[in-house]
Amino acid sequence: MKELLQMRGISKQFGDFYANKKVDLTVYEGEVHTLLGENGAGKSTLMNILIGLYQPTEGEIYLRGKKVHIDSPKTAVKLGIGMVHQHFMLVEAMTVFENIILGSTHDTSLFIKKDQLKKEIQELADKYDLDVELDKDITDISVGAQQRVEILKALYRGADLLILDEPTAALTDLEVKGLFQIINKLLSENKSVIFISHKMREVLQISTNVTILRAGESIVTVPRSEMDGAKLANLMIGREMVPSVYKKIKAEGPSVLDLQHISYHKNSKHNGLNDVTFAVHKGEIVGIAGVDGNGQSQLAQVATGVLKPEEGELDLESEAISVFDPLAFIMDNVSHIPEDRNKMGLIGDMSIEENLVLKRTKDPRFSVKNGLYLKKKEIREFAEEKRVKNDIRCTSVEQETRTLSGGNQQKVILARELDGSPELLVAVHPTRGLDIGATSFVHDTMIAARERGCGILLISADFDEILKVSDRIVVMFEGQIMGIYSGENPPIDEISLAMAGK
Amino acid sequence: MKGKVKIVKVIIPVISILIAFVIGGIIIAGLGKNPFEAYAYLFSGAFGSSQKFAQTLTIACPLIFTALAAAFAYKCGVFNLGGEGQFIIGAVTSIFVCLKLGVSGAPGILVSLILGTLMGGVWGAIPGILKITRGLNEMIVSIMLNYIATLFMGYVYTNSLREGSTPQTAAIADNLQIGRISDGFRVHWGFVVAIILAVVLAYIIFNTSFGFKIRAVGMNPMAAKFNGFPVKKLILSSFVISGAVAGLGGSIELHGKQFRLMSGFGQGFGFDGVAIALIAQLNPVGAAVVAFFFAVLRKGSSTLQTGMKVPSSVVDIIQALVIIFAVGGTVLIKKPSVQKLLNRSKNDKVSGKGAEA
Repeated sequence: MKELLQMRGISKQFGDFYANKKVDLTVYEGEVHTLLGENGAGKSTLMNILIGLYQPTEGEIYLRGKKVHIDSPKTAVKLGIGMVHQHFMLVEAMTVFENIILGSTHDTSLFIKKDQLKKEIQELADKYDLDVELDKDITDISVGAQQRVEILKALYRGADLLILDEPTAALTDLEVKGLFQIINKLLSENKSVIFISHKMREVLQISTNVTILRAGESIVTVPRSEMDGAKLANLMIGREMVPSVYKKIKAEGPSVLDLQHISYHKNSKHNGLNDVTFAVHKGEIVGIAGVDGNGQSQLAQVATGVLKPEEGELDLESEAISVFDPLAFIMDNVSHIPEDRNKMGLIGDMSIEENLVLKRTKDPRFSVKNGLYLKKKEIREFAEEKRVKNDIRCTSVEQETRTLSGGNQQKVILARELDGSPELLVAVHPTRGLDIGATSFVHDTMIAARERGCGILLISADFDEILKVSDRIVVMFEGQIMGIYSGENPPIDEISLAMAGK
Repeated sequence: MKGKVKIVKVIIPVISILIAFVIGGIIIAGLGKNPFEAYAYLFSGAFGSSQKFAQTLTIACPLIFTALAAAFAYKCGVFNLGGEGQFIIGAVTSIFVCLKLGVSGAPGILVSLILGTLMGGVWGAIPGILKITRGLNEMIVSIMLNYIATLFMGYVYTNSLREGSTPQTAAIADNLQIGRISDGFRVHWGFVVAIILAVVLAYIIFNTSFGFKIRAVGMNPMAAKFNGFPVKKLILSSFVISGAVAGLGGSIELHGKQFRLMSGFGQGFGFDGVAIALIAQLNPVGAAVVAFFFAVLRKGSSTLQTGMKVPSSVVDIIQALVIIFAVGGTVLIKKPSVQKLLNRSKNDKVSGKGAEA
């Protein structure tokens, strides 16, 4: 097979953070090359570099052996690289035909030669068995059909290399079958496809070669024929066990959070909970392992009172809860490090000190008469104390939190959430996007909270993190609990299979 | 950083006003008049004597109320464009109290103002309730309610409370009029109420737990929800308070200046209030200052017209330009490149990771 694309030593740096680090990727003509990796592994960054949205900090790109410089999406299209984004880029109020010719440079005459263009496009669609109705409005066709429009759009612009970003995420099983037929047809015409996914079954079904990305680095490229599900899962999450620096404990105390047969949007595989039962005890860390988007967000929101479960019982410190409201949970000493620190955790336009007292503006420490007057001096002193203690790097505690780095933002949230002594801490992706220093600070802080008797529910897509700090590991897949394992000498093979739904 | 932001918030309106005056001056010069002379007329019209100055303050009074109303709702991230309707409902309530309930004297004024405030709050609650329960767009609902209020007021002065052949209500009794500060300085005490209210609202917004939560919801409702704030309740209370402030304004305008309802009462005050609130960067005390500035333009424009034969619409142009530049300036400082410029000196001082997002 002839080599089509080679990306050599691609690095992309955002501030101190490497989204891609020395990534190598080679794609041959007529193959499906899968990029496999967790969220945040650097797949999207790499593809954005390939289609000219980002410029790499380092590295070179070769197309058919010639070095190319892709400085804009336009250049990428000219070079025959087309991308179908996970969220389609279609104008909903326009017809299929209008969407396909939108911005194309086939016909530069003043008036659109509709009939002729339509004929061309229909021929192209027939050639690749793409079933589309050119005169329908985008809003009137199914998601699967919209995807075919996107593929046709890319082919019409002359794409030889088609990037499909999580193309099966929104499709039904039947539509996935249809998509795979289309992909096979493309291959037979010597086109190449880069397939981005973390769904193991589909990856095994369609790929020719698989490149695994982890933490921004390309770990290895392997032919599909040499792989099976367990091997891939191991590679994706990182097989070698990092010796944990933290002592694992076996908590015997009472439970602080007890979930019994909790369900929420049961039938949604990726955004629901199906009969979830487990408990978090006083002074232990329970880690939820699983590929992102298997109900973890919903679990965190149920455990913090943001969502009300449809079935089942939730106990906080052995008392059944009936009111699901974040404030009620906060009153019950539940703290929350939410998954999106900017959207859910911090008021970005407020200062560090204001964010630190966000939940406590009626606390007698910071206000007179139940919030009638805020004691600015006491708030300042409190903020200064937390700044020093948590090493929050800032010009002053008056700085707005949106201008802080991710690590420092997380330190602000940690300081707020662990102030007082919470009985339960729900931490979701607490170290996502953080550098090593900030990560170990977060872990140390969590362990210290555990020692004080706080029960911690840790939800993370980073398997290393789960292994490192969890006393018990609960594996989730499609909203269900697949198994509960001890955090001491956990059976990694078994867990990685459970994460893949086996 | 924060000190800098505060300075920027003062500088934007000031620069906007200056640029607007320069462009206004060019227009006046284009009309063949001397702009400096024209502006001298404008300001002498507004400040020339204690009588003129008092009139300027009287014009500012209702604008302060509607601007405070708009600013408070904006602080909570919702857009109350219904200031005019709430203002009118406050006045309509008061005229009923004065003409139908048989009240008199200071207690009568007090009852009338309180009921006017309450009804303004009720009028403001309508878009709030529809927003939090049904997700209706509060801007559209509040604008629609303006029409209802205006037409209802029309019904009142042409039918139910009409006096004589002209379409207007009877005037309220002399003893129900709000008094003047002094005979030489004929500003009614309502103006003082407006200033006190501005200070009180500023205190609430910046120094209480309630105001803190209002601001937090305005800046990031999702994070506010995750941190246990009753987001919907806060949004509704911001609407009620906003409406109540406008309603009180209408009530005071009736008792202090107009004394009766007729066509055109309150017209345009709602939207002027919104513009003033925006120029003042939503700061209540700033809103009072900008409302005063608007009043200066209004008062001065008639002097300009009579003294210089410069059409008063030139002043409308200046007012519009101030709005455009102030809003533009607010957007401009949010641009990354401008932010970088503003942050540069800070980064020079502190090396390291502090500022990187």
